[in-house]
Amino acid sequence: MSAPQLWRSPEERGGEREPTGEFPPGASELDGASRRDFLALLGASLGVAGLAGCTRNPPPEVRPYTRQPRDVKPGVALHYATTMTLGGAASGLLVTSREGRPVKIEGNPEHPASLGASGIYEQAAIYHLYDPQRARTFKRRGRPGSWAAFLAEVGSPSASFRRDGGAGLCFLVEPSGSPLLASLREKVLAALPKARFFSFDPLARDAVFAGTKLSFGRPLEALLDLDKARTIVALDADFLSEGPFRLRYQRRFSDHRMPDGAINRLYAAESALTITGANADHRLRVRSSEIAELGLALLAAVAPDRGKAGASNAFAGSAWVRTAASDLRERGAAALVIVGSRQPPFVHAIAAAINAELGSAAVSYVKPALDDLAAGPASITALAREIEAGSVDTLVMTAWNPAYAAPADLGLADLLKRVPTTIYHGLFDDETAGRAAWFLPATHDLESWGDARALDGTVSLMQPLIEPLWSGVSAPEVLAAFVGIAERGPLRLLRESWAERAPRADFEAWWGASLQRGIIEGTAFPRETATLDWTALTGAITAFVPAPRAEGIELDFRPDARILDGRFADCAWLQELPDPITKLTWSNALQLSPRTAARLGLATEDRVEVKLGGRAVISVVLIVPGHADDAASMALGYGRGGEEIVARGLGANAYLLRTGGAPWFAPGATVTRIGGKKLLALTQEHWSTEGRPVAIVVNAPDVIRRHLPVLDTQKGPQPTVYPEVAQTGYRWAMAIDTSRCTGCSACILACESENNTLPVGEEQVRLGREMQWLRVDRYFEGSLDDPRVLVQPLACVHCEDAPCEVVCPVAATVHSDEGLNEMVYNRCVGTRYCSNNCPYKVRRFNFLDYAKDLSKSEELAMNPEVTVRARGVMEKCSYCVQRIEGTRIRAEIEGRPIADGEIVTACQQACPSQAITFGSLHDPASQVSILRADPRSYGLLHQLGTRPRTEHLARVRNPHPELG
Amino acid sequence: MIYVRSPLFTGQSEPVEQPLQFDHRHHVTDAGVDCRYCHLTAETAASAGYPPTEVCMGCHGQIWNQSPLLAPVRASYFTGRALTWKRVNQLPGFVYFNHSIHVNKGVGCVTCHGRVDQMPEVMQSATLTMGFCVDCHRDPAPQLRPREHVTDLGWTAEDPAAVGHEIAQALDVHTRTSCTACHR
Repeated sequence: MSAPQLWRSPEERGGEREPTGEFPPGASELDGASRRDFLALLGASLGVAGLAGCTRNPPPEVRPYTRQPRDVKPGVALHYATTMTLGGAASGLLVTSREGRPVKIEGNPEHPASLGASGIYEQAAIYHLYDPQRARTFKRRGRPGSWAAFLAEVGSPSASFRRDGGAGLCFLVEPSGSPLLASLREKVLAALPKARFFSFDPLARDAVFAGTKLSFGRPLEALLDLDKARTIVALDADFLSEGPFRLRYQRRFSDHRMPDGAINRLYAAESALTITGANADHRLRVRSSEIAELGLALLAAVAPDRGKAGASNAFAGSAWVRTAASDLRERGAAALVIVGSRQPPFVHAIAAAINAELGSAAVSYVKPALDDLAAGPASITALAREIEAGSVDTLVMTAWNPAYAAPADLGLADLLKRVPTTIYHGLFDDETAGRAAWFLPATHDLESWGDARALDGTVSLMQPLIEPLWSGVSAPEVLAAFVGIAERGPLRLLRESWAERAPRADFEAWWGASLQRGIIEGTAFPRETATLDWTALTGAITAFVPAPRAEGIELDFRPDARILDGRFADCAWLQELPDPITKLTWSNALQLSPRTAARLGLATEDRVEVKLGGRAVISVVLIVPGHADDAASMALGYGRGGEEIVARGLGANAYLLRTGGAPWFAPGATVTRIGGKKLLALTQEHWSTEGRPVAIVVNAPDVIRRHLPVLDTQKGPQPTVYPEVAQTGYRWAMAIDTSRCTGCSACILACESENNTLPVGEEQVRLGREMQWLRVDRYFEGSLDDPRVLVQPLACVHCEDAPCEVVCPVAATVHSDEGLNEMVYNRCVGTRYCSNNCPYKVRRFNFLDYAKDLSKSEELAMNPEVTVRARGVMEKCSYCVQRIEGTRIRAEIEGRPIADGEIVTACQQACPSQAITFGSLHDPASQVSILRADPRSYGLLHQLGTRPRTEHLARVRNPHPELG
Repeated sequence: MIYVRSPLFTGQSEPVEQPLQFDHRHHVTDAGVDCRYCHLTAETAASAGYPPTEVCMGCHGQIWNQSPLLAPVRASYFTGRALTWKRVNQLPGFVYFNHSIHVNKGVGCVTCHGRVDQMPEVMQSATLTMGFCVDCHRDPAPQLRPREHVTDLGWTAEDPAAVGHEIAQALDVHTRTSCTACHR
């Protein structure tokens, strides 16, 4: 039996295009110079370079401490717990600091949101911190200002906003659950009782709270306990990659993807293909506007007497709904329906009803952790109305970039001109900064004192890892300025707020212990008893009118998988991270299904005009198999017009089409070709393994009864011409369980941060020169319109019989006695023979001197344990050899062997789903030995006889027998 | 090839003039100060460490506390501005040398640094080329000494081969010639 046919792009499937070779045309050309020019230049420069090598540098200077801080040993890393926030929700971090500079971020194992894992935003925080584009100066009406001048201005008793108790003073803040910010807000309102607070987040989760209000009479947060769920139905819910608990949910979901009889089954209904959809056992393509009807049909099928309205709609008879409903009913308490925050409150209420009807034990409700339950269009619209009415004299904006991200129909950017004094506090000189009278540069979370709440209410403390790199102030200080206490500084403000909230005799000890752990013990909210209000819900169901089928295309707005709502748009590492599904880098695109694109006569990379409600933007088409028909999606956050150099000119601004009435999906869009092409930097066809079967998927029942013929051909001894090498001592190896892997790509960024991998830019990515050591391949399987998806992380597999080693003319890649395929940068002369001979295509070559573009501040983000590679050098996964050697030194000094699990590679440490295991095969009881003995384990391209040290475990699907 | 291995290039045996006159002979031989008193982290970290000014002042706050030669030390201590030294032993950026493992495995300071106790101005004693490192990494035993004599620059074994072999056994010292032991 041969492996199923897999393909990576519609073009590859259709056979229209041969898979691109390792180096696409032009890949080895210099920019604007041919090979011949290069050789000529080389000849000329040789003499000069040769002479330059003969001089000796003067001895460098050494400056020791005058007083060495306690705990600091130069060269030895320290770790501190802190917190970062997104959308007001806390994520716990454990930051590695070297000589006072943070260099690496991991999740805080004690934190409920991370459980020790980290995602791409957590990993990128390091680059965000050191970003040279960050705003550095206070500005007042375009001229340099200062914090002191600002304090004097707002502190003045004659400040205009102080008239009439602050009637003219408005704040536009990020939604927050921070007890410190809440206490400062109270102080502001006590001093200026007529001041108003509005909150704004382009990705606000208002619908969740409005939904629970509809179902339970009060706003609540739904917490999922995926440990208890065996059948999960996700309705437009990308719970594996979005939302404050995405890391926790990923871990818990993957924990139950083991083929052991208790494996969960995921049904997902969505328009654009997401990570959750890619991991679903049964995915249904529907437009976002159809989800409500789908939910009603599901309710009707689960509880016929409750949901009569849905019993006869278009979805009622569908096999997906029937099967999902019977599966849900069968599971009862172990069933769970999840709705995404893009859906209106009504759909959330339907899901709550189904869960209540089934008696689901996998969902519980707590008080919302945020103080701002309305941070979406309603809130900012209310502010806009006030500005129009002329009642705002001073507007203080600490929310991220409202002038850029506010609903297009508000015209907020222009309205801001009507406010006499606008104050903006932000990290970057962005679109809003340019329009504000006062610009206050913000400190990064890693430079600030503060607190925040996780989704379950747990308070997390934020402590600075470094003094602000440039001048900057934190959000609490900005609020404190209005009540004249800003000079106390952020630490004192924070400590005073906690001394007030939690007075205790042993405050100092308690404070120290809490800072050390990063969380405050016992602050999680208790579970609420929530009783479904059937009367209100039945009324809503009766009143529900399905959206009429509109002409044209339904346009979906989505957070970008990499730059979120745009706040990370300036981060080159994130821009270059391939989108987990589309594999697009450095841009967004208009995603269309193959069928819809064919109907409109469009192909990938066609430039198009997207029109919606009289507004238009120019975008570029990307055909994505699995997208819903007659719908299109655009990621938010692109098309920037601020001072951020990296982000400028990339992609199209979807916010220009996004209105307050339809923040997530809107019917009636038109897409017209305007001629011309815009080349996209897609990595989906890079690094081809020439159609050899590498990713393997098996069905859970087959694993359980050990019937795996497809894997049997991937095992057993292979003839080899290599001499057998006797091995003693550690034998490092890795196991990657593709059944756990969701494809989230956190590992890629963690690897880059640990190993100093650098971004190369859009142009270079198009030439196939991206440098990421680890890639996550995404394969499609089956029909073009509705394929199934496989993901497979792949880095150097450290072959025992490595084809790369034998072809290197200078022995720059050699084998260690412990089985590492070593890459010796200082020997490499750049022939690239090794990469040519690598069947896995996991070697990366420095075509240009990518490190020369690093700014002084970005250099601080580099890991001092790893060489920053120069031009002309090959590199690849080293199994984080610096961590192996560091651990070995510790163990040898202590006179003991390295324990199993003591060495954790960067990818493994970040992985939210624990798909990666590293260890030594010399110990048959090590985790990695156990996993390699699993029947699902196989070595990629086994038939080549390379004997990879990294083995993959086949992905498991758990389809319902009736849907197959 | 010959040039880069010659003292002309490696800087071997070339005294490095320091901004501050510091005589190791006086401190080590006359005063009997152990290496680790100033090079604080030789046993615990990759870098042996340079003494923070407060370590100098630990003694020189009491003795020679009026000496004009020590004025820069006092200035550094009271202003918090670092003393600036010139680096003597230097490895290329792609070499990751770790003091702690060598010291803990019984490699004496003198093996790489020479008789610092006899140097008026410290100079690089060994070539510090890869050949120098690898010679020992291939066959470490002859260079080993008991842990308690690691900082004793004048210590010699009566029978280095036998002693080295014994210590290699006791401290579990083995050949390490994988590239990534030093290059990452």
